[in-house]
Amino acid sequence: MKKKLLSLAMVAAMSASLVACGGSDGKSGANGSGVSITILNSKTEIQTQFEEMAEEYEEATGVHVEVYNADTDTTVASQVATKYASNDPYTISMVDAKDIYSLADDYAYDLSNEDWVSHTTLGITVNDKLAGFPFCVEARGILYNADAIEKVTGKEFDPKSVATLDDFQKLLDELKAGGMETPVGILSEYWSLGAHWFPMIYEEQADPDAFVNGLLEGKEDLAGNEKYNELMDTFETLVKYNYAKGSASNADREETSMMLAEGQIAFMFGGNWDWSVINQYDYTEHLGMMPVPQNTSDGTNGKLVGGGSKYIFVDSSDATSDEQRQAALDFLNWLVSDAEGNAFLTEKCALVPAFDNIDASALDPLSLSVKSYADANNLVPNYNYLPDDHMTVVGQEIMQKYLDEAIDRAEVAKEVTEYFKTATPIAH
Amino acid sequence: MKTNTMSYKLKQYLLFAGVSTVIFACVVIIPFIYGLYLTFTSWDGVSRNKPFVGLTNYVNAFGDTGYWTSLGRTFIYSAIAVILVNAVAFIIAYMVTSGIKGQNFFRAGFFVPNLIGGIVLGYVWKFVFNKALVEISQTISSGQAKSLLATENGAIAALIIVSVWQYAGYMMLIYVAGFMSVSEDVIEAAKIDGCTGTQSIIHISIPLMTASFVQCLFLTITRCFMVYDVNLSLTNGDPYGSSALAAMHVYNQAFINKNYGTGQAEALILFIICAVIGGIQVYVGKKGEVQA
Repeated sequence: MKKKLLSLAMVAAMSASLVACGGSDGKSGANGSGVSITILNSKTEIQTQFEEMAEEYEEATGVHVEVYNADTDTTVASQVATKYASNDPYTISMVDAKDIYSLADDYAYDLSNEDWVSHTTLGITVNDKLAGFPFCVEARGILYNADAIEKVTGKEFDPKSVATLDDFQKLLDELKAGGMETPVGILSEYWSLGAHWFPMIYEEQADPDAFVNGLLEGKEDLAGNEKYNELMDTFETLVKYNYAKGSASNADREETSMMLAEGQIAFMFGGNWDWSVINQYDYTEHLGMMPVPQNTSDGTNGKLVGGGSKYIFVDSSDATSDEQRQAALDFLNWLVSDAEGNAFLTEKCALVPAFDNIDASALDPLSLSVKSYADANNLVPNYNYLPDDHMTVVGQEIMQKYLDEAIDRAEVAKEVTEYFKTATPIAH
Repeated sequence: MKTNTMSYKLKQYLLFAGVSTVIFACVVIIPFIYGLYLTFTSWDGVSRNKPFVGLTNYVNAFGDTGYWTSLGRTFIYSAIAVILVNAVAFIIAYMVTSGIKGQNFFRAGFFVPNLIGGIVLGYVWKFVFNKALVEISQTISSGQAKSLLATENGAIAALIIVSVWQYAGYMMLIYVAGFMSVSEDVIEAAKIDGCTGTQSIIHISIPLMTASFVQCLFLTITRCFMVYDVNLSLTNGDPYGSSALAAMHVYNQAFINKNYGTGQAEALILFIICAVIGGIQVYVGKKGEVQA
């Protein structure tokens, strides 16, 4: 009998907790009088900061903000789609750039009348509708350690002075003569080679989409392409001065980052996300990011490659009331023009803001470099429609060999061309 | 009460095995059938609709040269690793049952690597291969030494070394149990008949321990064919994708290249190969078992 009672009690307790779960939907938030909005956060590493911010935001404005952390085991797009299918969309969804293009027509509210529009160039416009609010900026380029360079050369280092490969080569020779035998580090990870380095060849074309489609159709001549050869010239120079030459495809990311941080090498190809590795070590003061040096006349050697890395769109469907939508728009404005909102982006989350009015001087040096290029509109946009296996095939099977000097440039072009003939294009 | 009616038997079955049957069905049988169904669709792993495409995925799988190369590599890796794991395990099992000093300490010591997860173990050995061994060989031979992990055959060799280190201790336990199960009487009788130590191992102990061999071989073969964790953390396919074993290729196909259906079909082929090899091995092994 006792056992029966106990099990009944268990059943009661469990169903009570189920009811409690079901009850917390929609507008029955803590603040009964105010509006309640929901946010899908797909930058999962800042979920804690987001939740704290939501509480403070509610205290300040009376708007209840519910922050949902995106599942990491499925894509963000599929989670947004599921919510729309059940007619219970998030008021604000944070998604990747390519999701904005597929979701904008049906679900995104036009943001072009907002106050913050004049402060950014990175918003995404789809069919004349400003649909994507850029949440943060990430970019790729050459990371440098100015202290290490100046210690050898004895004069102040200006990244603009090495925009061309010829000048860069001279500096490398000077460093070598001055005692730094191998001033360069190249990450050997396939994502770095296949998703960060090689795509620059497409991204810096006059029309990236046409170029990639040409490759897919087998009509483009990669080996004879000017941009391909310019970037490969630079890559070969980097390989020549690589500290891990000999076992280059086995270079360790941690070690390379440490050597850059401590000034044993002066240059490394990477992005502002590498700060999270570099700051684990005893880094010197003057680090930064510069464009990849190239002997080119198209101006790309004055630009970093990158852009907004997460985008926010506001729901336009009937499932969201006008008050909720207004609250969502106010929230975006708060991020851009309120000191608290700015501090949330730059100080609490350490993100590079996409808006030129936000003071980001507290950011890390790499992010500061990215911010200055972004504000000056000197970013080459990311190309988001490479076939899914591009990263592993081109990065690991082709570029690693090239990094190890096991194959030459003509063979790389031949293998990449062959790869594209069988690759599955991404519909967009 | 009648005990041979259908309903009585069913009740008895449900009473004793009902819960486990349901759980087994939920976590093994149903996912397996669902997985089988997915091999006939061109699902990308995330989308809501799963278009039915018939046998296309199997055609793709058979035409995927990368898969067959990785499978061939897995055969070589497994063949060498299985032999080495069992040889090493048998030898250390013999040593720790022969009454040497501190044998319990050795037993525990050899078993410990098995308690470390494959991912951690991979990173530990990566450090050993890339840093420690390179440093040592540079000191000895003075010159730029290359890490084992930076060469194509070296990476596979490194995988084998780590697998032997990881599994030998576990297999040793089974062999130890095998040695213990051989009755002292038989060994003594053999000695009286003039058997030397080696002869008594070959002609008495090994035939009586066939069950241990069958078990160990089965475990090592299936584990080697399905290995993924050590492969991921030790080499991740580097250099040039030349050390990606079958399971890793399947994972990349399904989740990185987003060809879920093809990946699933390749996984099924891998499963069938494993099941056939394992089945044959157990069947042959059981036939050879000797009763004392």
